[in-house]
Amino acid sequence: MRHKTGLGTKKELDAQLNLTPFIDLLSTCVCFLLITAVWIEIGTVEVKQSHGTEAAAEKKDSFDLDLVFQSPTQLRLNLKKNGKRVQKIDVKGEDFNGMLASLQTNIATKVLNFKNKPIEIATATVTPRSTVDYGNLISTMDVLRKNQIINIGILTARGN
Amino acid sequence: MILNQSMVAADAFEKHLINRKRKKNWAVKAAGFTLMLTSMVDMFSMLVVFLLQTFSSSPEILVTKGVELPNSITPSQVKEAPVIALSRDGNLYLDQKLVGETKVVSKKPDMLLKKLNIIKKEWASSHTTPFTGEINLQADKEIKSTTVALVMGILTSSQFQSIELAVVGQR
Repeated sequence: MRHKTGLGTKKELDAQLNLTPFIDLLSTCVCFLLITAVWIEIGTVEVKQSHGTEAAAEKKDSFDLDLVFQSPTQLRLNLKKNGKRVQKIDVKGEDFNGMLASLQTNIATKVLNFKNKPIEIATATVTPRSTVDYGNLISTMDVLRKNQIINIGILTARGN
Repeated sequence: MILNQSMVAADAFEKHLINRKRKKNWAVKAAGFTLMLTSMVDMFSMLVVFLLQTFSSSPEILVTKGVELPNSITPSQVKEAPVIALSRDGNLYLDQKLVGETKVVSKKPDMLLKKLNIIKKEWASSHTTPFTGEINLQADKEIKSTTVALVMGILTSSQFQSIELAVVGQR
């Protein structure tokens, strides 16, 4: 402890930080965090492939949506109530992004606001096509998830 | 009076002395070099704060080589589950191990089904809860969507009904 001349034995007001362990700790922290850092955020898009009885039980008095790819820039939406189609909408775009923008508009205005009444979609099923890339399929599912349509299934060749 | 060049110019020995003196001066300066501690501690603190902000404790899955995942604006958290991967070169991997060509496997899925059954049995032996049917599917963004659907059909028939499609989050 240092004592200043002429001030008696009073303690010094300025606290002194011991820099060496402080820098050691910071360096260790930086190294650990740099090693464990995740630079690419990997997430998932959940797909629920429901089977016969489960699907039928969920379909009581609810709307379902079928999305059928006609081509990479054309999509057909089939809105179903209790398994029966109540509306058919063709979505087109000049390119894939244009089609996605059109899909977003159609879902918000015509599907989720069916006959000017807000409805909830219980399940959505996407039917892929060989001319459509997997990346484009995910982008289409993104539009559905953005509109709170979470129960999404993909129609597979095995009839699920 | 015109000075002779040789009288003004320093000879080799004088040059050597001057250089030695310069080097000595530099050495004295170098000994007095100080590290700017304040700036260094500032930089370290900022780095630690930034890295702590980006730190994530959620489970991570290895992305299989040759797979470029599609982007998504609505990603969910990754769950710990087996990983099936479809690479751009047409191969199918289960937990980083090659199963075979996707075309062949989708036509004759016996080998894949066998491996999936082993995973299910391992699950049953290590868990008391019923099988959840969760599986992570990594597929290259440029492969056909029908190929992915075909593999999903095989997974569904083998009781893996909760399929998590791996994506790169873009929030």
